[in-house]
Amino acid sequence: MKQFNLPDLGEGLPDAEIVRWLVKEGDTVTVDQPMVEMETAKAVVEVPSPFAGRIAKLHGQEGDVINTGDLLVSFGDGAVEDDATEGNAEPAQEAAAESSGSEASAEVSSEDVVGDTFMLPDLGEGLPDAEIVRWLVKEGDTVTVDQPMVEMETAKAVVEVPSPFAAKISKLYGQAGDVINTGDPLVEFGGSGSSSKKPAPKKEAGEEKRADSGTVVGAVEVGNNVVAETTNSVVKALARKLKVDLTQVTGTGKDGAITQKDVREAAKNSSSTAKSEPAPAATQESGFDTSNPLAYRASPAVRALARKLGVDLGNCQASGRKGSITRDDVESASKGGSAPASSQSAQPQTSSTTSSTPSSTGGLPTLNVEVKPETVRGVRRAMAMGMSHSHSTVVPTTLVEDVDISAWPKGTDSLARYVRALVTAAKAVPAVNAWFDGDKFERLLHPNVNVGIAVDSGDGLYVPVVHNADRMSMTDVRSRVQELRQKIETKSLKQDDQQNATITLSNFGSIAGRYGTPVVSPPQVAILGTGRFRNELKLTDKGITNAKMLPLSLTFDHRACTGGEAARFLAAVMEDLQKAQ
Amino acid sequence: MAAITLIEAVNAAMAYELEHDQDVVLFGEDVGKNGGVFRATDGLQKKYGKERVIDTPLAESMIAGLAVGMAAQGMKPIAEMQFMGFIFPAVDQIFCHAARLRHRTRGRLTQPMVIRAPYGGGIHAPEHHSESTEALFSHIPGLKVVIPSNPSRAYGLMLAAIRDPDPVIFLEPKRVYRIVKHEVEDNGEEYPLEACFVDREGSDITLISWGAMMHETLQAAEKLAAEGIEAEVIDVATVSPIDMDTILESVEKTGRACIIQEAPKSGSIGSEIAAEIAEKGILNLLAPIGRVSGYDTVMPYYRLEKQYMPTVDRILDEVRTIMEYK
Repeated sequence: MKQFNLPDLGEGLPDAEIVRWLVKEGDTVTVDQPMVEMETAKAVVEVPSPFAGRIAKLHGQEGDVINTGDLLVSFGDGAVEDDATEGNAEPAQEAAAESSGSEASAEVSSEDVVGDTFMLPDLGEGLPDAEIVRWLVKEGDTVTVDQPMVEMETAKAVVEVPSPFAAKISKLYGQAGDVINTGDPLVEFGGSGSSSKKPAPKKEAGEEKRADSGTVVGAVEVGNNVVAETTNSVVKALARKLKVDLTQVTGTGKDGAITQKDVREAAKNSSSTAKSEPAPAATQESGFDTSNPLAYRASPAVRALARKLGVDLGNCQASGRKGSITRDDVESASKGGSAPASSQSAQPQTSSTTSSTPSSTGGLPTLNVEVKPETVRGVRRAMAMGMSHSHSTVVPTTLVEDVDISAWPKGTDSLARYVRALVTAAKAVPAVNAWFDGDKFERLLHPNVNVGIAVDSGDGLYVPVVHNADRMSMTDVRSRVQELRQKIETKSLKQDDQQNATITLSNFGSIAGRYGTPVVSPPQVAILGTGRFRNELKLTDKGITNAKMLPLSLTFDHRACTGGEAARFLAAVMEDLQKAQ
Repeated sequence: MAAITLIEAVNAAMAYELEHDQDVVLFGEDVGKNGGVFRATDGLQKKYGKERVIDTPLAESMIAGLAVGMAAQGMKPIAEMQFMGFIFPAVDQIFCHAARLRHRTRGRLTQPMVIRAPYGGGIHAPEHHSESTEALFSHIPGLKVVIPSNPSRAYGLMLAAIRDPDPVIFLEPKRVYRIVKHEVEDNGEEYPLEACFVDREGSDITLISWGAMMHETLQAAEKLAAEGIEAEVIDVATVSPIDMDTILESVEKTGRACIIQEAPKSGSIGSEIAAEIAEKGILNLLAPIGRVSGYDTVMPYYRLEKQYMPTVDRILDEVRTIMEYK
């Protein structure tokens, strides 16, 4: 048994997909007869047979991807030599006829043959000539009846020209690109195989093929899969058109199915009686499902606004046309404004304290208080999301230590000193002034130091950034911080002002708190918290002195830094802070 | 009941009406002796005679003019344009006479005619044989434009088109002529015109298509289901006038819409459907309306036609974009 493995179809492609088998198991093929159409990443290619023989097995079905070098076709016993096609001509002929049914294939007959020479037939509609696109056979090949020999391009299409009989080819006239006039020689048959040439039974075969292919312009693909019509969809379409309510129709079809006829009858009957309008689609009165955005009617612009303001459409009054929610509705809901108090809408549960009506008998007046949850949005929401993200990714470790700042002259700007200390420490231990990506395991050590400063506000937590703090004087830092605070107050803080921090400072001690566990904001890897300073009795070699102590809390992401790096960083911070100036 | 192809269904519907209605006549280039280049009229001349199945000269303007004259006299002509690319010489007769005779005569004369033409690409034909120019005809008031997507619809809609009192442009997706078969009962039962068919029910997105592209669209819907996206698939079938109620009802349910067409994008049926959805269904839209179409270029030669025509993958890409829209 011979095996044929898929050859490399060009340019070292690893595999190819089977588009269509041109032969079937049991067929007898000749050398170079196309067996299968394979699609590579680049083109559809016909794969010819390397042997003459009978096909025992086809490996793979249409749509399967075959690796180059894998088994494609097995040839069975009874393999025949090239010349001995006579006995096997019949099955091959059937296969060829079958495969050509779906292709543009020219009609040829023995009338096109003069002696042993096959003349180019009229390929359709009286065209005077055609151009050779590609020979599918070569001199010396033995072909079977209807085996495609050449692809010819006419003014209208590319057409395969099949052989009119089984014979051996002795000469091909012309090469790819040559134009052959209709009636001129195309192929000469002869040699040892010529004795077996026999004209095809063209009449029936021709007739049958014509019934399938129809046109020489293009090639209509032929499929054999029988699909069922979705009858239901036709009946529903008719019912909608005739305004018939299908639930009111009794089916007379198979298994009580409603037929088109039933619908037409129902339409006739209902037009004589009262017109029964189909029930209107369920509207949103039937209750809100807040998980389904389609429960609300709102234009895309309104939906976008609601998303931007973090407003749930379920909390908006629908005051627009046809019960739609307007921009005003969303805005008023975002201001914690009036959600409808009507009974038909399902509000988030409100807790309320109710009491009796005001009494005229004196005493304290009664109060009707309604307390509703408010939607967290804007900066506060951003904080919530940022903190969750940090909590779910960062591995935080906090070091605490006190530093003696007794040497500071009166009036020292503490914030500016903290920033300078961070800058100094960042230069000493770059691993802490860094970004870290735990998914890709990448870290980025920053050459510059951008210090984010946590600022508390009524809106929520802001972290404006002093960019390139390593290139600024303390005065510059101070004025930049002032500027940023100003921007927060006037709500003019820009996106740029809050991006690209490489390390963060949280000065909670300006309010209260000695130590803390500040939260690292990824991709940064560290945050320094400065607590409230205090006086402490300190034992020195000169005796007991009063020392001014500043508590420090350094949280670092232990995925990104070692404990040693963090401790060295903290030591560098302390060293800088201990200085008088 | 036999399983037949779309082209055989067209043949069967015309044969049914030739058999049952003496007013029906059929003509065009090669439709008689030859049986039509795609075999749409195969065997009809032999059965119904040269008086009723008529071979015409190669002159489309004359073919359409003949239909206008016959229809005005109460006959029911079915005229074939061999390819839709050849219809343009006939456009004067179709636009200026067939489409408006009812209006021009204040309803005294109607034009019960069908003009058949194979349209669309995918069969390796030259480029002007492969275009989808249905939008040109849908723009003209007075014409109905009908495109069947499968054999059953070809049969049912062709019967309805022949029986309709007004001119119907009946466009046949020639790529689909032989790729699927349906069990069609040759019982003369017509399908409704001006009605969309909902071929698949779903809750996440409405896919709207017609003609040959229904096959890619339905395949895409199956693949989307595997990803957990349930698409509702609508076959528009009559692309002018369009049954917008069905489409709007579906979009109200799904909140998303994607239109799939083989024709170029600009000024197309898809443009019209998208505009209607925007006008009347905007309050239900959760995402912009998507369109997967051919390109705004001349249909390429056949080696590139697969690159031009929308594929299942292009539909999947567009649908995923719409689904991910926030």
